[in-house]
Amino acid sequence: MKKITIAILFLSFSFSFAQKIPDLNLKSLDGKIVNVNEISNSDTIKIFSFWATWCVPCINELDAISDVYEEWQDETNVELIAVSTDDSRTKKRVKPMVNGKGWEYTILIDNNQEFKRALNISILPHIIVVKNGEIIHRRSGYTPGSEDELYEIIKNNL
Amino acid sequence: MRRHLIVLFLLVFNVNASAQLLDNLSFGLESNAIWYNDDKKTGSFYDDVNKDDDEHFRSNNYLKLDYSFFKNFKATVQFESYEPLALLNYSPNYNETNIATYSLNYKTDKLDVTAGYLYEQFGSGLILRSWEDRQLGINNALRGGKATYTPTDFLSFTALYGRHRVGFKTSEGEIFGFNSDIDLTSLFKFENSTLSLGVSYVGRKENLNIEDPVFDYLTNAFSNRLDFSYKNFYSSAEYVHKSEDAVVQILNVNNIFPDDFVKPGSALLFNTGYSKKGLGIDLTFRRMENMGFYSDREKTGNIYNENIVNYTPALTKQHDYILTNIFVYQSQPLVSFNYESNVFKVGEIGGQFDLFYKIKKDTPLGGKYGTKIAFNASYWAGLKADITQAGFETNPDYETEFLGFGAKYFSDFSLEVRKKWSSKWSTIFYYLNQYYNKEQIEAKYNAETLKNNIGVIESTFKFAKNKSLRLEAQKLWSNSEDHDWIGGTLEFNLSSKFSFYVNDSYNSGIDHDTSKIHYYNFGGSFTKGATRLGINYGRQRGGLLCVGGVCRIVSPSTGLSVNLTMSF
Repeated sequence: MKKITIAILFLSFSFSFAQKIPDLNLKSLDGKIVNVNEISNSDTIKIFSFWATWCVPCINELDAISDVYEEWQDETNVELIAVSTDDSRTKKRVKPMVNGKGWEYTILIDNNQEFKRALNISILPHIIVVKNGEIIHRRSGYTPGSEDELYEIIKNNL
Repeated sequence: MRRHLIVLFLLVFNVNASAQLLDNLSFGLESNAIWYNDDKKTGSFYDDVNKDDDEHFRSNNYLKLDYSFFKNFKATVQFESYEPLALLNYSPNYNETNIATYSLNYKTDKLDVTAGYLYEQFGSGLILRSWEDRQLGINNALRGGKATYTPTDFLSFTALYGRHRVGFKTSEGEIFGFNSDIDLTSLFKFENSTLSLGVSYVGRKENLNIEDPVFDYLTNAFSNRLDFSYKNFYSSAEYVHKSEDAVVQILNVNNIFPDDFVKPGSALLFNTGYSKKGLGIDLTFRRMENMGFYSDREKTGNIYNENIVNYTPALTKQHDYILTNIFVYQSQPLVSFNYESNVFKVGEIGGQFDLFYKIKKDTPLGGKYGTKIAFNASYWAGLKADITQAGFETNPDYETEFLGFGAKYFSDFSLEVRKKWSSKWSTIFYYLNQYYNKEQIEAKYNAETLKNNIGVIESTFKFAKNKSLRLEAQKLWSNSEDHDWIGGTLEFNLSSKFSFYVNDSYNSGIDHDTSKIHYYNFGGSFTKGATRLGINYGRQRGGLLCVGGVCRIVSPSTGLSVNLTMSF
């Protein structure tokens, strides 16, 4: 009996359901407090990219998007928010790395991985695409070229 | 009948309410399973943690559910299952299927209250950090309560109490914490600069049955922090003081708490940097003396990283390639007198330097896409001290020099150049030079100091939409006859969903653990959205697995592993 109920509950997962961004405050690289729920409540599409300075595929993905970011923004007004999950061992490398690479993204610091945990992310990189506060797409891992697929998704959800 | 009604009700309720109900539910599943083989080269399967050679199949499974309700509440529960036993080298305390952590959180603009298992970090974590890292088997969540009050933009206060999670049990010792952060920037409305202060207190109380103890069962630690930035320049400093406590020395079973070996601890962390578009410079210095801090004293320095109160990671660059991770520095926060190997440590001192630079597009060196350069160097030594060894009637003791550099433990420098040649082809060049004082770091008598040079070339070719090939060639040259490694990786991304790889590393040196053995791995992964399935077969080298500057010892093993992660 109990099992059936649980099964039904789990079955209903397969119906599409939109998940929301938690109500959390994170600090941006320049020390400002940003509520991630508030910034995701917008008509324009936001991408949260969870990364870390020691994660090579993360850097590759952010580098790859960086090359086409201007074009993306011109055409879709999309904004990428790179959420650094670096802990205090590597956190100090975030600012020089972001500047050294010339990335134009908004950078948020998820110091003790509260945001990452709230979204149940276990593998980096992890991309979350949000519109009007709701998650419309998420993906873990990066392979060269998957930024093109991401752009398709953005364009299809404008 | 009644049951059927309930089902019907649930069905209807489900259809109507599921959208809203499930909107508020999120879950994450992670499952790591390995079938361990016997291996002719590296030996038969044996689990020396659980003294078992029978259960070749192992799995670690995590299911976390979060449910938000009544606007301000969130309930979280995490189930964990280690069946029939945990993966090799995990703590024997991970030994069943059960609820591992649970919590209830209430949150408004100003107040954030959690009851149950909680995660927290004060400042850089040098005084307190509780977090989860499944790869390392770390979950030192505190079971208790926490409240954070943020009356204004620039003030925040946190108070907490709890006992550490240790497997499916909790620590004997209790942790009390208080933290306050003050952001003077918004208070004084600075234009070009920021200034913030932080003050923390952490108390650890562990009662012991010792007659006339010469130390308090309550140990107090204080941290003061300052963060400052002006335009492109930034800097921060932290000083931690830990009150006198027994120095835990595992000399023999009866001598965990030597009579008069009672010392305070301290740490100083300083960081400064400058960055602007295309350039970043960063310098970090840290000095630690007797900074081991555990909820249960006798767990000091335990290899499973259990009962850790504070976070003292190695401040060196985390390198990305297999051969660059054979000799990894581990931070040395503890007082550790090892008479057998004649190694006496009271802490560490040193620092690291980072430089990031982008050579502009359309310049001779920059080419069409620009060239990205990263340089890192680090130097770590033991904290200089006058050591008094335990004698017939003398207790062990030491006197430190505040900024004295003792024996050199470790140094490295690395240069990374990332070059994109065309929209289809990019290359990374990586060079690393390292110095590893094995005798001191691992407390192994007369062990040889290793001086290695490592070179890596990585190239990625994109040959169709979403199809790419990645190649890695690595070589390690050493001063030691024991080590002479080559390695390589071939990765083929068929689409954004399917990826396959094969890698191998091989030591033609004479090191008796690893000599003439191919450490090969091959596998593939399937990714769709937030679901990822990975399969790997191969042979792992024994050694250290490090994430975020914390390491776990892993024994050599061969087997088939399957990893599944999902989140909604």
